[in-house]
Amino acid sequence: MDKVASLKWFLGIFTALFVLFLYGPFIVMGILSFQQGPEGGPQFPIIEWSTYWYQHVFGIAPPSRVAPLPIGEALFRSLSLAFATMVVSTVMGVLTAQAFRSQFRGSGVVFYSVILGMIVPGVLLGLGMALLANQLGIDRNWWSTAFVLHVVYTYPFAFLVMLAIFNRFDTSVEEASLSLGVSPARTFRKVTFPIIFPGVLSAMLFAFTLSYDEFPRTLFTGGSDVTMPLAIYGTFAVEIHPNLFAFGVLTTLFSFALLAIYGILLTVSTRRQRAKASGLQEDIS
Amino acid sequence: MTQFDLELKQITKIYPGGTLAVEAFDLQVEKGEFLSFVGPSGCGKTTTLRMIAGLEDITSGELYIRGVNNTHIKAEKRPTATIFQNYAIYPHMTVRQNIEFGLKIRNLSASEIRQKTGNMIDLLDLGSVADAREHSLSGGQKQRVALARGLITEPEILLLDEPLGALDANLRRAIQDELKLLQRQLNITFVFVTHAQSEALGMGDRIVVMNAGRVEQIGKSEDIYFNPQTPFVSRFIGKNLLFEGKISGANGGIASIETPHGVLKAGMAGAGKISKGQQGLLSVPSEYIQFGKSKASGVNAITGHVKQANFVLNTVIIYMTLANGDVVKIDTHVDKVKGQDLNPGTVLNCYWSDKQGRIMLNETNNSGGA
Repeated sequence: MDKVASLKWFLGIFTALFVLFLYGPFIVMGILSFQQGPEGGPQFPIIEWSTYWYQHVFGIAPPSRVAPLPIGEALFRSLSLAFATMVVSTVMGVLTAQAFRSQFRGSGVVFYSVILGMIVPGVLLGLGMALLANQLGIDRNWWSTAFVLHVVYTYPFAFLVMLAIFNRFDTSVEEASLSLGVSPARTFRKVTFPIIFPGVLSAMLFAFTLSYDEFPRTLFTGGSDVTMPLAIYGTFAVEIHPNLFAFGVLTTLFSFALLAIYGILLTVSTRRQRAKASGLQEDIS
Repeated sequence: MTQFDLELKQITKIYPGGTLAVEAFDLQVEKGEFLSFVGPSGCGKTTTLRMIAGLEDITSGELYIRGVNNTHIKAEKRPTATIFQNYAIYPHMTVRQNIEFGLKIRNLSASEIRQKTGNMIDLLDLGSVADAREHSLSGGQKQRVALARGLITEPEILLLDEPLGALDANLRRAIQDELKLLQRQLNITFVFVTHAQSEALGMGDRIVVMNAGRVEQIGKSEDIYFNPQTPFVSRFIGKNLLFEGKISGANGGIASIETPHGVLKAGMAGAGKISKGQQGLLSVPSEYIQFGKSKASGVNAITGHVKQANFVLNTVIIYMTLANGDVVKIDTHVDKVKGQDLNPGTVLNCYWSDKQGRIMLNETNNSGGA
């Protein structure tokens, strides 16, 4: 009994520490983002609470010696890149996982070559891609070379998510559809896809967030027009001001918003499945 | 030439790994027949059903549906509908949407679809749950939704893969009768797969007993029950007493077999295949066993003592130890043992007419089912 109790304490403390380390940096950053500006620096103590740095991020603070964060275009690039990556990786992930539902020759080789994309260190892949692009005389851009690497990186995640979904997918609903005379294509659209949709959402979320804050691959292959993480990193070279923290808080809130949207979509799609339709009782004859 | 609704010619299934699942299956089914496939798991009954549905490739042989060769026709082009054991109800659709799903691809007007769906909902008494989804349905309702969804496409053959397996015993009994009634009413050929002999024998106009990928016997329910043709069927179906021994005579349809309990006689199963000296098996349905001593001629008699007797409702299961230590199980009606002392150790005399029971060859290595 005592052993169990002490184990419980140990695990409890362990979990608390884990949560602390998980949220600690964010909390510190959150607090420091309310530092007084423009003189206040990125450290404690807080001289005076203010929202100056938030105004600074949005460009509505009075001009000062602190240069505005170069985020406007970078943010646009990151979002479009993440969106495109999400679409392509998810489509490819779903299709590949679908293919893996039946055994085919060389499936093992294909599996590992897909998975390699998320295992190979990003720096190596980025560097290699840059060299290859140079060799072939291809310009490096966030929308070309970097985009390809983002897909290479996120596609395995989408694939694995979908593989897990298909793993517990009951094939008999598809067979029932075929036996009713419905074509395989229509069966996929009307039966398979609606049932796997929550999994597709998860795959999309993975692909989007991984691409959105991707750093090493973009560093080497993104060319001169930088994405958000690179733009942020670029400001470190000069001097760190709390405006970075303010932006960090905002972008984290953005991530939470994505999660919330994901959660809502998930609930809606499962509720659509679960909800007892009420008041729709129609006269049969 | 009669046109069969379903005809299997030497249908064989070998899986890519080399496993032989179904071997040279021949079958002819007439329109409106209720056919049951029964056998232990892995006997090939579901594989055969799936080959008829087009969900499994046919390795060799030919499959005809209403005279049309369907051997290489894809599942969605076959005039069959399949009901699965887990019902495979679409969770993202209402009962009504499930039922009309198969109609949507046919060239029907919206009002025709409504009409047909409504009729089917009425037929299977699903009106009260027409707008509900799978999770709020009971097992019996799910089963009826699956049936409605399959039947609405007006299949020529309805294939049912253990459709009662997931229901509790009482419901199963009730649905058996409903299903049989529905089949009569619609006059559609049903092929019904089950591992439960009570379902197979209770519903099938004809029953196919399968074992290890092969057909053991095809026949009407009473034939299968009282006239098993193979040792496997004797063991798998019914409540037969089995006696092994050497055939000591075979003449004019009557054979005798030398067992440790004396020479016993019975009709031969599988005409003309039995001859003296071969290993044989006598199978006697429990129902034929009489208790006490008989002085009549033409009876087989055995004596032993009661090991144990268990009463289950209106039946009694008697385990009787014979002189050589063998134990036979007699599963019979309580009326048959009225006045009989069944306390353990009591001497028990049994007899039955030598016209009852069947003697067959016992040379195949069939593993007995439960």
